[in-house]
Amino acid sequence: MRPVLLQGHERSINQIKYNKEGDLLFSVAKDKVIGAWYTSNGERLGTYNGHQGAIWTIDVSPDTTLLASGAADNTIKLWNIRTGECVKTWEFPTAVKRVEFSEDGKQLLAVTEKRMGYLGTIVVYDVRYGDDLTDQTDEHSLKITCEDSKATVAGWSYLDKYIISGHEDGTVQQWDAKTGESLMVVEAHEYDTTINDLQFSPDRTYFITAGKDKSAKLISSRDLSILKTYVADTPLNTAAITSKKDFVILGGGQAAMEVTTTSARQGKFEARFYHKIFEDEIGRIKGHFGPLNTIAVHPQGTGYASGSEDGYVRLHAFDKPYFDFMYEVEREQARK
Amino acid sequence: MSKTASRPDWADDVSDSEQINDPTALPPPVTTVNKDGTKTTVLYRLDDLGRKVKVTRKTRTTVHKERVNPVVAERREWAKFGLEKGKSKGPQPDTTSVGENIVFRPSRDWKNVQAEEAKTGGGRAEEKSLKEQLRDKKVKCRICSGEHFTARCPFKDTMAPADEGANPAADPLADDEEAKAAGGLGVGGSSYVPPHLRKGGAQAAGERMGGKYERDDLATLRVTNVSEMAEEQELRDLFERFGRVTRVFLAKDRDTGRAKGFAFISFVDRADAARACEKMDGFGYRHLILRVEFAKRTT
Repeated sequence: MRPVLLQGHERSINQIKYNKEGDLLFSVAKDKVIGAWYTSNGERLGTYNGHQGAIWTIDVSPDTTLLASGAADNTIKLWNIRTGECVKTWEFPTAVKRVEFSEDGKQLLAVTEKRMGYLGTIVVYDVRYGDDLTDQTDEHSLKITCEDSKATVAGWSYLDKYIISGHEDGTVQQWDAKTGESLMVVEAHEYDTTINDLQFSPDRTYFITAGKDKSAKLISSRDLSILKTYVADTPLNTAAITSKKDFVILGGGQAAMEVTTTSARQGKFEARFYHKIFEDEIGRIKGHFGPLNTIAVHPQGTGYASGSEDGYVRLHAFDKPYFDFMYEVEREQARK
Repeated sequence: MSKTASRPDWADDVSDSEQINDPTALPPPVTTVNKDGTKTTVLYRLDDLGRKVKVTRKTRTTVHKERVNPVVAERREWAKFGLEKGKSKGPQPDTTSVGENIVFRPSRDWKNVQAEEAKTGGGRAEEKSLKEQLRDKKVKCRICSGEHFTARCPFKDTMAPADEGANPAADPLADDEEAKAAGGLGVGGSSYVPPHLRKGGAQAAGERMGGKYERDDLATLRVTNVSEMAEEQELRDLFERFGRVTRVFLAKDRDTGRAKGFAFISFVDRADAARACEKMDGFGYRHLILRVEFAKRTT
């Protein structure tokens, strides 16, 4: 396969997201600009300009009309995807590290940073899809304050029933999405290792977390039981679950500050493919020359994209050997 | 006057009849449809040197039909915005490029496959070749001929090296090194051997400076009566004719930088050294006649 390189950003990529159909890809980096790309040919559709700081996170509404972005300028901005206009800005006392639309797109959660005397919070806003997209509420509908350890990532479980958050101390917490009550806490990763990414399966009944402790875990949304563990040899920044094939893709690499002192060969800047069920590593894809910060899988499972500290987004479309690969037991199962 | 009148006006020549009169005029392209549905286009053009080039192009048109979600099709028609505003359709070369081909074959024992590929693949050639060389190299103990380093030999304190002296000078460096590592026993009896009695110690009283790169005297020539103007490279060129020269040492005066009049030349092979000694002794170099002999060990 020949990856398509998207070089619209001047600084390291922080997050990339496909829309629901997988025809558009959105990327954010530390350089204040959001990029929108056609995934079929890598053409840039446009950019969303307006943030004043590094953009940490992005999400697309399920109907691809609104785009939410959270940045280091302490704001969340809602964008009209088609025109590139900013339709709403919510301000916070601290930076916004993660935004995510609920499954139906009617709610938006945001994780805010703990800094300058402010505790880390998870806030939820109602989002309206009227004819006038700028008609949005100013008040949040729910606010969860993380008192002991700040949340770094969060997302919505199936049917928007729970909010699941990953924390700086390696714990995963489950909250009631309506009341904001804490339901369960699990020490998923080693103590005091940050959870860097949390991505749900297509049906949101389980999710994968990528930890600084060089492992990724597959966790059930309902009871937070750890289903699978994938062990890597480098701190992980991101993990994604593929649809169509039972794989997971992990990305990482040594910390950015150590990059200059080691060669690319030792840097482990590869996307690692693991079998979701058997937990074996089945292959790697090279290409980046910086640690991988974010990986997103095409919703139809036909490809994936990775964004790296080197400022590139690489768009891959899987070819035949990827789809043909099966374990012997899987093949037997298929024959029956 | 009549002469000019008979010829067509030069202005006409340029404007109307250029095609007909100009020998460099190109015939128009011809397109024919072949039986199998392909099209053949023949066109002519001029290359950089002004030569006429005929280009025959065969094209087959295939229609790729792709069914996409209507919303996706609609989104394909969206106008560009932001930094892309006003740019033409299709990927822009400054933001989009195609990477090198990647072969991705998932496999269960991915790590082994990777190792195998690293072995056979041409990736790091020199690294590989070095490994290859070392793979067939067997470690052989010089005391008991076992497969371990001499220094690790369990008998190193009780036995003398098996083939002492029988070794040719082919591998002098390793030879010396091992001997030292083994603490090479010269005489039997008590386990302690004073340094001057150890192997090699008889001639080379104790360890000389220079570590393991000390010169090998077996294949070293001492050249005397060397001109003051001599250069190391000249000497090397002179002696390289007889075999591989590992080292050329030309003694030089520290202050003036001129040669002191003697030099040492080390060969890999003692036979080469002997030949060189024979041939070069009495050779006229610069204004002096060289004297070449085998170097004696310093005592």
